[in-house]
Order: sequence, then structure tokens, then C-alpha cells
Amino acid sequence: MRTHSRATAWAFLSPWIVTFAVFGLFPFAFSLYASLTDYSPIRAGARFVGLSNYGRALADPTFWSSLATTGIFVVGTIPLTTALALGLALAVQPAFRGRTLFRVGFFVPSVVSVVVLSLVFKGLYASGGPINAVLRALGLPAPDWLLSPRMALPAIMAMDVWSASGYYMIVFLAGLEGIPRDLYEAARIDGASAWVRFARITLPMLKPTLLFVLVVNTVRSLQIFAEVFVMTRGGPLHSTTTVVYYLYEQAFYRFDLGYASAIAYLLFLVTLAIAWIQTRLVRPATEPTR
Amino acid sequence: MKRARRGLLYVVFAALGLTLACAPPGQELVFWQFWPTEVVQPLLDRFEKEHPGVKVRMEQLTWQSGLEKITAAMAAGKVPDLCEMGSTFMPRMLAAGQLTDWSAGVADLRPQLRGWELCSIGDAVYGMPWVLGTRALFYNKTLFAKAGLDSTRPPETWPQLYAAAEAIQKLGGSTRGYGVQAGERYVLFKKFMPFAWGNGGRILTDDLKQAVFDSPENREALAFYISLRKVGMMERQDVLDRAFKSGTLGLEISGAWLCKSIPKDAPGLRYGVALVPRPSEERGTHASFAGGEVLVSFNASKHKAIALQLARFLVAPENALALAQSAQSVQPAVIGADTMAFYREHPEQQVMIKQFETAVPTPNHPAWVDLEAAIEDEVEEALHDRKTAEQAIQDAQRKLTELLAKPVR
Repeated sequence: MRTHSRATAWAFLSPWIVTFAVFGLFPFAFSLYASLTDYSPIRAGARFVGLSNYGRALADPTFWSSLATTGIFVVGTIPLTTALALGLALAVQPAFRGRTLFRVGFFVPSVVSVVVLSLVFKGLYASGGPINAVLRALGLPAPDWLLSPRMALPAIMAMDVWSASGYYMIVFLAGLEGIPRDLYEAARIDGASAWVRFARITLPMLKPTLLFVLVVNTVRSLQIFAEVFVMTRGGPLHSTTTVVYYLYEQAFYRFDLGYASAIAYLLFLVTLAIAWIQTRLVRPATEPTR
Repeated sequence: MKRARRGLLYVVFAALGLTLACAPPGQELVFWQFWPTEVVQPLLDRFEKEHPGVKVRMEQLTWQSGLEKITAAMAAGKVPDLCEMGSTFMPRMLAAGQLTDWSAGVADLRPQLRGWELCSIGDAVYGMPWVLGTRALFYNKTLFAKAGLDSTRPPETWPQLYAAAEAIQKLGGSTRGYGVQAGERYVLFKKFMPFAWGNGGRILTDDLKQAVFDSPENREALAFYISLRKVGMMERQDVLDRAFKSGTLGLEISGAWLCKSIPKDAPGLRYGVALVPRPSEERGTHASFAGGEVLVSFNASKHKAIALQLARFLVAPENALALAQSAQSVQPAVIGADTMAFYREHPEQQVMIKQFETAVPTPNHPAWVDLEAAIEDEVEEALHDRKTAEQAIQDAQRKLTELLAKPVR
């Protein structure tokens, strides 16, 4: 009987396991192999080159500048996205008329395809586009958003903050709903102000959610690609060349898949390190041992 | 009951076996291409009719992911029999050494078609030019008239181009004179180099071994290109095209796709197409970027002989014209296509064919992607006033020299 139920469990799990093995594990292992070779998809045979692709990446100034660009993107967007998402969640949590409408409105951008959003923002950011029209009407300077090496990355970052906040708002809402109401009532009876209730109850109780948001958003932001691909193709003057866009160029424009795989693994290590630091910094307090 | 069921099974298997045995020894040809199915399928239906026993299985690629798909197919060794390639893919594909040498199979076609440089290394031919595409000067006749310019006489030289852009820019409001390309990879090159080539500038020596980019011709061309910012706007291709169609941009260098979209998006727009201006009446050429679509087969393709037959069929004047007429963003590679009735009735498209006669293809160097990026980076530095034209050209020369010295991966 037990054997039978185990077989049933495996049968039900097998579609996921097969998919994960084929589209997850195999590419993961293959790219590790590729990173140790001079593999090119359009050339027969691959030569083992050891760690030289990794050495090449570490000596490549464009790799470092793309890592810096990615770093600026991550540091610039994550605090803003997290703060905005939490703010929105707090704003739409209490019951009020039209709450659902606001919740849906804030969430919608996160379900729209990144490519579609990027195309829309490309139009909004055009020198003669609506954003500049408003700025001009207000007598403010109208910058060349996506053409200026100084403005292009912040412009993409602004779009990302706007589009991603809605998703994390929903995550925070779920976290907020899980905080027992009686804690707030007790605090209110004790005369705690709104800020004290937020700082002493909401934030500590939200730590697991906050950790989840930080880690997931960091991993996603480190892999920023589609926005760059659609809006700037890494330009102007490499100002928006992120690590993933750079490795895409290496893989599919230069067909240097071995090198691209090495860059991917270096990014993986960076991601792993940052996620580990985040879990250390924002780890929820454990129950005191008696 | 059991016996009856078994009997039925025997009958089914026997019928299946008989059907397979009687089927003609047909061949299925796999053809990957980028055009809408409704454009290409009628041609393939005709080919199948003319070649009984041959079935063409066509798959449509997209420009967004087509190169990735072709690359993946090459890596997996599961390549199509015939494949359409954009000319910008060709340097890398030629370097990979996986394309079938068609030199003997196309020798008789060489005097009939234009664009062989797109798919050749020396005398060896690894593809067949199908349709061609170039860039020409688009100008708004209404804005010309408003600015007091003769709308029947588009600018032919750099000073005339500058003067026309300046006059239109002076109209004020949201009107701009010339559309300077910027902020976009793989496009800026096609907009700047026509001026450099037209001025006699070059990128590499004929043997592709040395960079000759730092020349007075290229410096002068870049200085002129930068100067156009004063009498126009600097934007990406799609924004410039939109501005042109909305009637707020006087002049820009663009492609035949505009001829197709203007009647739909801006039916009232009065516009003309002219050759890219040359430096002066006394010197230079009306050069432009030469691109197009090439048909290739792979060494690993299963049906190379029929693939060549299909390619020959597709480039035949009436078939290439059928595609070009339907797509309207390219022109047939056939020499003398401009005399075809369709092009006599569509003078804007006719100019594109004329423009191709003086257009210059990019060198088929294995590291072309990097060489192009080096030039674009430096031109962009100059466009953002981070370098003078002279410095940018010098730095591009240095980068090109370094890239050429690197072993090709």
C-alpha cells in the first residue's frame, strides 16, 4: 500500500521533476561545463580552457563596468521599491471605500509584460514625448531621457520601481494580514502612537516578509535584462549595459558562449553572496531558549 | 470476439504498410525565413507544384529571436535546409565555416543579381542575395515649401542638406530640420557611415587586415554629422520615423519600411525620397549602407541540392518581386529591378534601388560585431560632445587596430 502511494506521489511529481531537470538542472550543469571551454554554438568542437574564461572576465573592464551598472541599479531600486511597496500596502490595508480598486490599480503594472511596459516607457521618455511635454509646460528642463548617458539608467530604474512595487505590495499585504490584531489593540490601550505601533509591531512582525521581498527583488534586479534590451540596448555609451545584457551580447552577438557562461556563474556567485548577507542582516529573531 | 479484433488489427497494419509502400519517395525541405506566412507561402506552393515529390516545410522566424534560434540549431546540428539570413548576421556565419559553398551552383546567376558581397569571401559564394535594403534621404515636401525651399529639388550635397535643415528648423515650434541618429546600437553605424563612405572614407583595407579609419575623409564626415545636431533633433530610429510621419521632422535618413508605413499611418504626408547627399557637386558619391536578405544552406543540411533549387526559384525576378511588392520594405536583388512596372509606379521605392547602386556593404570580417561597436561608441562620444570628431576618429582607429590584432575566437 505504502509502495503504491509512493509511486503515485512520484507519478504526480514527475512532470515537475522532468521539467526542472531538463530546463533547470541540465542548463545549469551545461553552462558550468561551457564556462570551462571555448564553446561557440556556431563552431564545431569545444576546447577545455580551465578557468581562463573566469580570469578573462575579471580582467575585462566592460565586465566590471556592467557589474557596477547592475550594482547601481540594485542599490537604486530596491530600497525605493521596498519602501513604496510597503507604503502602498499600509495605505490600502485598512477597509475603505474603493480599496479593491486601488489594490488592483497598483498591482496591474506587475502583471503586464516587461516588454510591453518597456515599449510604452520608451515612448513616454522620447524627447518629444508626454513626460517632456508636461515638463516643458511647467517651465522645467526636458532632458533626453534615454539618449543621455547620465539619464538613461535612472529612467529605467524609475520604470522598474513603478512596475515592481505593485507585486511586492501584495506580498506585504499578505504579511500585514498575518499580524494579530490584538497586538495593535493592546498597544493602543497602552497609548502607543501610530509610529511606535509601526516600528515596534509592524516592522518586527514583517521581518520574514521583508526578507523574502529583499532577496527575491535583489535576485530579480541583478538579472535585469528585458528593459535594457528593449529600451536602450545597453547604450548610450554602455551606460545601461548590465551584466546579463553584457553576457547576452557575448553569447548571441559574439557567439562566445564559454565566456558568457563564465560571466553568468560570476553573477551567480555575486547573487548568492548578497542573498546570504541579506538573510544574515534581516534574519527574524528566533524564540528565546529557556 | 478476440479473434475478430485481432483480425481488424491485421487489416489496419496491412493497410498502413501498403500506404507507406505506395507513397512517392518525396523529400521534405525545411525552410526558415522571416516574412509573414501569407507573403511567402504562395511562392512555396508554386515551387511544390513545379517540383512534384518535394514538400517545403516553412517556419517563420522573428527578428527578435531568429538569430538565437539559428544559433541554437547550429549548436544542436539540426539546421534547416534553406535559411534566410539578415546581411548583418553574415560576417559571423561566414566565419563559422558552416555554410554551404554555392560558388559553382550560382555562377550563372552572378551577372543577374546584385549584393553578392553580402555573402561572399573573396570569390567563394556562400549564399544568394534574395532581397536588398538600403537607407536613403526622406524629406517632407510640405515643410520644404513652408521654409521657402523648392520641394521638387531635394538636397544633393552636404551644404544643401545643412541649408535645408537649417531653414526648416527656423520654422520653430516643434518642427525640426534633420533627424540625427543616436542612442541605439547597430543603427547609428548605418546612419553615420553613408557620409564617411560618400566622402571616400574607409574602415579596413581590402584584405581586411588593417584599419584605415583615421583619415581626413572620415574626420570631415564626422564633423559634418555632428554639426547636423544644430539644425535638427537627436533621437532613436523609431522616434525619428514617428516625428517624420507626424510632419514635424524635415529630413532624415531611413529605410524603405517608411514607404510602406506612411500611406497607412500618415496618408496625407507629402514626402519624397532622394539619394543620400554627397560632400559636394565636384566630389564624393551618394553612398549608403548596403544590406539585405540572403538565402543560405548549411554543410549539415540534409537536402542541399533541392535547397539550392528553391533558392534559385525564390530569387527569380518575378518571385523576388512578388515578395518585395508584398513586403514593400525591401527590393529585389535583380539587376534592373527599377525598370519593373511596379517600381516605375512607385518612384520612392525606385530611389531605394538606385541608392543601392552606390551603397557599401560592411566588411565580412569575423570580428565585425566588435569593430562596428567600436566605431559606434566613438561616434556617440562625439555626438555627446565628450570628444571632438578628430579625437573620436583617432580613438576608433586605435580600437579597430587592437581588435584586428586579437586572435579571432
